[in-house]
Amino acid sequence: MMAATSLAARTSPNSNGNSFYANAANPGAPIPRSSLTSFPAASPRSALDMSQAPRPSRSPQPPQGNAPEADRSSNPSSKSKTASTGVSSQHSSLSAAPRRYAAGSHPPRRLRSQYPRGNTENHVEYILVASFDIDRGPVMEHQYPVAITGDEHMLAELMLPDQAHVRNQDWTIFFLHKDTSQEEETAERQAKEERRNRRRRKRDRAKGVIHESDDEDDEDGDLDEVDWDDDLSTDSEPEGGEGPPLIYVLNLVNTKQDKTVKRGAVVKAMAICTRHPFLHIYKPLLLLALEEYFKSPVPETLSMLFNAVNEMDLSLMPKLSLLERHLLQASDNKDLFVEKFEQMIQMRIAEDRGEDITDQPFDASRSPPKPPGIFRSGTKAHVEGQATYAVPRDTHEFESKVMYKGIPIPIKVPVAIMPETVGDFSLIKLIQNFSDSHAKSPQTFPLHPHLTTNGPHTHPIIVLVNALLTQKRVIFLGYNMPSGDVAEAVLAACALASGGVLRGFTRHAFPYTDLTKVDDLLNVPGFIAGVTNPTFEHHPEWWDLLCDLPSGKMKISSKIDPAPVTEGLVYFQQQNPSHAGLVNGAGSSNNAAANDLTGDVAFMADILRSIASRAGERVIRAKWRDWVVKFTRIAAAFEESVYGASALYIGSDEHETTTVGVGGHGYVWCDEPSKAKELAGNVTRIEGWRNTRSYYSFIQDVAQLYTIRPLKGLDLHHMHDRLRTQRLSPMQSREVYLAFSKYVHSYDEICLLLSVAPESHAGLFYIALGLFHRDKDVRSKTADLLERIGEHEAGQHWWRALSRFERLAYIRIKREADLENANKVKETTAIYGGLDKRIS
Amino acid sequence: MGNSMSGFSGLLHKLFGSREVRILMLGLDAAGKTTILYQLKLPHPVTTIPTVGFNVESVTMRNVKFNIWDVGGQDKIRPLWRHYYSGTQGLIFVVDSADRARIDEARTELHRIISDREMRDCLLLVLANKQDLDDAMKPLEITERLQLNKIKDKVWFVQPTVATRGDGLNEGFNWLSEHTKAALPAKK
Repeated sequence: MMAATSLAARTSPNSNGNSFYANAANPGAPIPRSSLTSFPAASPRSALDMSQAPRPSRSPQPPQGNAPEADRSSNPSSKSKTASTGVSSQHSSLSAAPRRYAAGSHPPRRLRSQYPRGNTENHVEYILVASFDIDRGPVMEHQYPVAITGDEHMLAELMLPDQAHVRNQDWTIFFLHKDTSQEEETAERQAKEERRNRRRRKRDRAKGVIHESDDEDDEDGDLDEVDWDDDLSTDSEPEGGEGPPLIYVLNLVNTKQDKTVKRGAVVKAMAICTRHPFLHIYKPLLLLALEEYFKSPVPETLSMLFNAVNEMDLSLMPKLSLLERHLLQASDNKDLFVEKFEQMIQMRIAEDRGEDITDQPFDASRSPPKPPGIFRSGTKAHVEGQATYAVPRDTHEFESKVMYKGIPIPIKVPVAIMPETVGDFSLIKLIQNFSDSHAKSPQTFPLHPHLTTNGPHTHPIIVLVNALLTQKRVIFLGYNMPSGDVAEAVLAACALASGGVLRGFTRHAFPYTDLTKVDDLLNVPGFIAGVTNPTFEHHPEWWDLLCDLPSGKMKISSKIDPAPVTEGLVYFQQQNPSHAGLVNGAGSSNNAAANDLTGDVAFMADILRSIASRAGERVIRAKWRDWVVKFTRIAAAFEESVYGASALYIGSDEHETTTVGVGGHGYVWCDEPSKAKELAGNVTRIEGWRNTRSYYSFIQDVAQLYTIRPLKGLDLHHMHDRLRTQRLSPMQSREVYLAFSKYVHSYDEICLLLSVAPESHAGLFYIALGLFHRDKDVRSKTADLLERIGEHEAGQHWWRALSRFERLAYIRIKREADLENANKVKETTAIYGGLDKRIS
Repeated sequence: MGNSMSGFSGLLHKLFGSREVRILMLGLDAAGKTTILYQLKLPHPVTTIPTVGFNVESVTMRNVKFNIWDVGGQDKIRPLWRHYYSGTQGLIFVVDSADRARIDEARTELHRIISDREMRDCLLLVLANKQDLDDAMKPLEITERLQLNKIKDKVWFVQPTVATRGDGLNEGFNWLSEHTKAALPAKK
């Protein structure tokens, strides 16, 4: 464990066990994982009772014939009409004919709300007001509904950022760590343990039952389902990992010149404390409420805001699984998963009518025609006020409102939030900030093996991400900048290094901090902090990398610890003597620069090209995600080759029968020399990453995700990459295509396949190439697979992106198959009397 | 913009003989630190409000570039002063000469600052501010009340000022530039 001293000890004696301390790590404290509950800890019955999803299908099921897809596939022209995604469908009301789905097209889970009605958890937990007292400095004025225990003075300091007096308005963000009491933790752990045991028993029973008799299974199916569902929502999505969830604080400070008061100005700050990572949605409300507070500085002003924000209704926002969130995040499609929003509304309408729908499994094909009340938000019908409920215009954002003093404030909440994504920041802005000045006059860095992986002219953004991966102390300095801008850069940097894959950055981030917290800051190994005070620059012993925002320059500290020579590095050089000289830091760093062993030069060029061509934030985030995923996979390959084993990838013996060609996992190189080169380029930073927080929590996540991942024995990513990057013989590709078609059936399996073939990476292109394979059975199996994908809730959008050429091939193959089947059926009917052998 | 001098312009300064000096300006709250800073920086007097955190400005006088750090003086934020010590060549301690009630408090703070190891080589300029007020203590009285004569290892000087009019500031900074001449050109 890290040897960080906890701030809790400093701020207050934790006798009440409920104290707060500003963002400092507490990795030493043994905090059981069970305390990491996500929002709906105790599943509210109301949400579950109204749920009507079908029972989970745990085993891969073949698609139920061609029927639902028949008209679609046989009539490409009509298909492409309905398929034209985006514009047309967005602006029309959604009262189209109900779609029909096959087994793998819908998730096998009940659809739930992220923030169910009747949930006792508040959106906002505290409202605080602080002011700068001309005699005493920062003081806390009011706290609502109760006082946050802990160091109130420290909070007031954070709420009044340096130089608040030189600007009229400033935003800051900071995080609080809440210590849960021992008893609370134990109770929670026990409850969770109990739930888990019950679930395990049920699941085992269900497994047995499924094989024996379907009737019995139906009887206790309902109970089982609830638990299974619970299982998925809690176990599948690792959150936190190092302690209880953070409390995010959004703070607004105003300075008002006022001749009538002593010393001429009043400085006041109001803050909202929430566990929602999307704390930026509260900005308009804070603006109104702080203005109000200047007029009437009484606790009632706080309570009015508190009540308003907590009445915000997010109950119609569906909860997505981890894979679904990945898909939504990586896609620009505004309609992706719109079905879930419709379903939430239908469930609500039924609930409002008081219908008992629990015993009636949800089936879109049987559901009653959509009530006239549902419209796409922003459509004519919706605007004219006929709609009770509206589906969002863009499924990435859930639209709601907060009534504050009779004014409806529109709010947009992100639907899919990846780990380490807090607030609204822009990776593009961060990247541009440090790329523009680098492009004009390239910086020359002093060499450090962990940081300058491309030599002295390594791109600053790569230096930054290397610093974060190897857990260096990083400071963003924005002298004369609003502290909100500095905080944004810190949050963006966390997301950059995380990619939504790695964790442990936001927990050690101090989006805004100042000299008052410097002693605590220095107790945290590998912090990421935002400051506006240039004094930090005078103390190189405080940081390893200083990122100066106004100038866009980065500085590696003269006092940075040298990278130790590690076993892994030595082993690698022994194993690959021909590449030993390429390893960064081995005295020939010019090699790394000239050859771009890491590929980062090309990567950054691509990123900057994308930004220049106006690619959106989502595209850039997806690219960084790919970079981080690639880094972890290269690290896994490195560990396997150097140490003989790696905990960064878990395979399984479940599919131990897998044939050659389908087995295999990990990152795919086109040949061995390029693998050795890329490893050589990465050795030093991989070695620097090992033993960091993000490394260990990634291992935990891999293990945890493995338990819920579909297709444990197969590395779909590996298989798809082979199709993408390697020149495979027809025999080799045949195995891959047949394996895809053999194993990818269920909803989650298709989600997984889609996630390794994102729209930004040519989508289904490489899979669809199977339609042109030499072997007929590969062609027809691929067609079947594509058919399943086309019926899939998310896959339909991927399907629509297929080229006309590919679709025609698909139709041809399907038609041939139908013809053959028809012939077969004729023959077999003649012989066996109507036994349909089509489903085999 | 203070300290973010690049190596190149640092070289220019060396060539043309100008020097950079880092000055730290401290004192109790409402002593007039920020008013002094902007009186030096701007051609017209400004109305100041309490400093949250700090201000920093650079002012060139007699070929010396002074990077002046003005740090808020409320008692709760005084413990932060020490973070500004390292690299400081001159300390300006501002006293409200009319605030007899707090002159002892000012003395305690001053002696605490100059006893710090990081401040051992720096000059001390005491500005006896607000001389325009009726009840203002004269420099001699300030010297006594602050017990400056007890300071053995430091060069110090007391300058009476009226910050709102700018009176006495030039004299004070002349003293500073005279006495920093002996020191080496400031490193970046």
